[in-house]
Amino acid sequence: MFTPNIWVLRGIIAVFLISVVAASAGSFSIFQKSTFFVSGIAHSSLAGAALGIYISLYFFPINPFIMAMIFSVLFAVAIGIASHRKENIEVAIGIMFSFSMSLAILFLAMIKEYASVAWGLIIGDLLLLSSQDLIWMLITVALILLIFFTFRRKILFSIFDPEVAMVQGINPYLYETLLFILIALGVVVLLKGVGAILVYALLIVPAAAAKRIAGSFEGTIIYSFFISLISGLGGIFLSLFTSVVPSAYAGLIATFIYFLSLFRK
Amino acid sequence: MKEKIEVRGLEVRYDGYVALKNINFKIPHPSFLVIMGPNGAGKTTLLKALLGLIPYQGKIEILGKKPKEAREFIGYMPQRDKINTNIPLKVRDVLLMPLLSKRSFGIRKKDIKRAKEALKFVGLQHLWDKDFLSLSGGQQQRVFFARTLAMEPKVIILDEPFSAMDVATKMKVVQFLHRLKNSKTIILVTHDINPLAECTDNVLLLNRVVIAFGRVVDVIKEENIKNLYGAPIPIVKTENVCYLVGSDAHVHT
Repeated sequence: MFTPNIWVLRGIIAVFLISVVAASAGSFSIFQKSTFFVSGIAHSSLAGAALGIYISLYFFPINPFIMAMIFSVLFAVAIGIASHRKENIEVAIGIMFSFSMSLAILFLAMIKEYASVAWGLIIGDLLLLSSQDLIWMLITVALILLIFFTFRRKILFSIFDPEVAMVQGINPYLYETLLFILIALGVVVLLKGVGAILVYALLIVPAAAAKRIAGSFEGTIIYSFFISLISGLGGIFLSLFTSVVPSAYAGLIATFIYFLSLFRK
Repeated sequence: MKEKIEVRGLEVRYDGYVALKNINFKIPHPSFLVIMGPNGAGKTTLLKALLGLIPYQGKIEILGKKPKEAREFIGYMPQRDKINTNIPLKVRDVLLMPLLSKRSFGIRKKDIKRAKEALKFVGLQHLWDKDFLSLSGGQQQRVFFARTLAMEPKVIILDEPFSAMDVATKMKVVQFLHRLKNSKTIILVTHDINPLAECTDNVLLLNRVVIAFGRVVDVIKEENIKNLYGAPIPIVKTENVCYLVGSDAHVHT
């Protein structure tokens, strides 16, 4: 039986999890100037999820979330290898971006009779999450936090000063790739809730605003969490009175906060 | 020479291009070596080979160890333009970064003490809580120098540490190096030997091959400088110091 409160509660929990991702993976994306990477990852996870749905419909049951994760992590590793080989990362991401998007369109075309499923991947809906979705998000966030807290110092050293990090026995390419994987996992968490298009809105925009407001490393992480939380909760609240999905409002709120942050000198 | 740094028959190639060829020198520990040469001479490449960051042919021995093994007692300060300036760190974050990277959690009191002492050594203890990116270029260089010292290295390798420094700051760093040269081996790449002439023990003139190596007075000669830069630069002698006109070198004779 449909119980609205359960759906809203799941949405609120999802927003909390998304905010944790924004604070950790989102902040480091900003520090590493990996925002284009986030966009590329979002589209590769879309391709993965679409393939997962296609396989589930015509072959055997598989959670699209897992396929999205596999695609995203593979994308992250490929970019990490390109970085190690001193390729132009922007070009490498651009190539992977177009490859992923082509695959996504291909897979979505094959399941075109399930247009609503495809649309759900693109724009997401925080108020339509199942318990299984939430469990997957929870597991992924737990994995992100484990990686983040265990390796954050080495990752920070690797992206701040890779040469000295290497002299200190840290492989900066390894930890940069680990950061890419961290971001990829974060994107997958957001995919279900806010969709591929608005991943950027709740992963990058809060962290970008937070960096401007806080002006410090720890402050950026803390503010990212709260800006993402306010945006997500605000999105859910506004969507309760309209037929528009929460992610649209959340994106607008996050962007509005970013514009406000521009006034801070 | 019991403890030493020795390079024999060193050759470095990038995609077939010979960046360094037949490099040979030996310096005792502790001592002070300045490496000079024109742009593209392979100075940074030589430092990277000493640190084991790039593949090379030949032999490098640093206090009895190969470069990768010797990293545990080497402090390295690269050129400042290689850092990521998009991370809003405090000065203390920058100083503690190498010390904290060895542990996943917690901060040891002795690490904080080492970092604070190093910052005091370079005269910037009042900047401990300041935003690193708000500092001047010269102050940032001094913080990096302090970070290198906080690692308590036996060998310090510095790649153009005087870039972005005004004359006063440069002289302060030279004073720090003076105070360290009796206990540590310092290897420093610079275009400006001028402030270092009084404290360096050896100079290596490098232009993909060794143009000259030895004591300052034996190396800074018109003939060597011409071979190094491809143009004659007159040396002016006044009392016991000789200056390279049009260059930055001056040498006690």
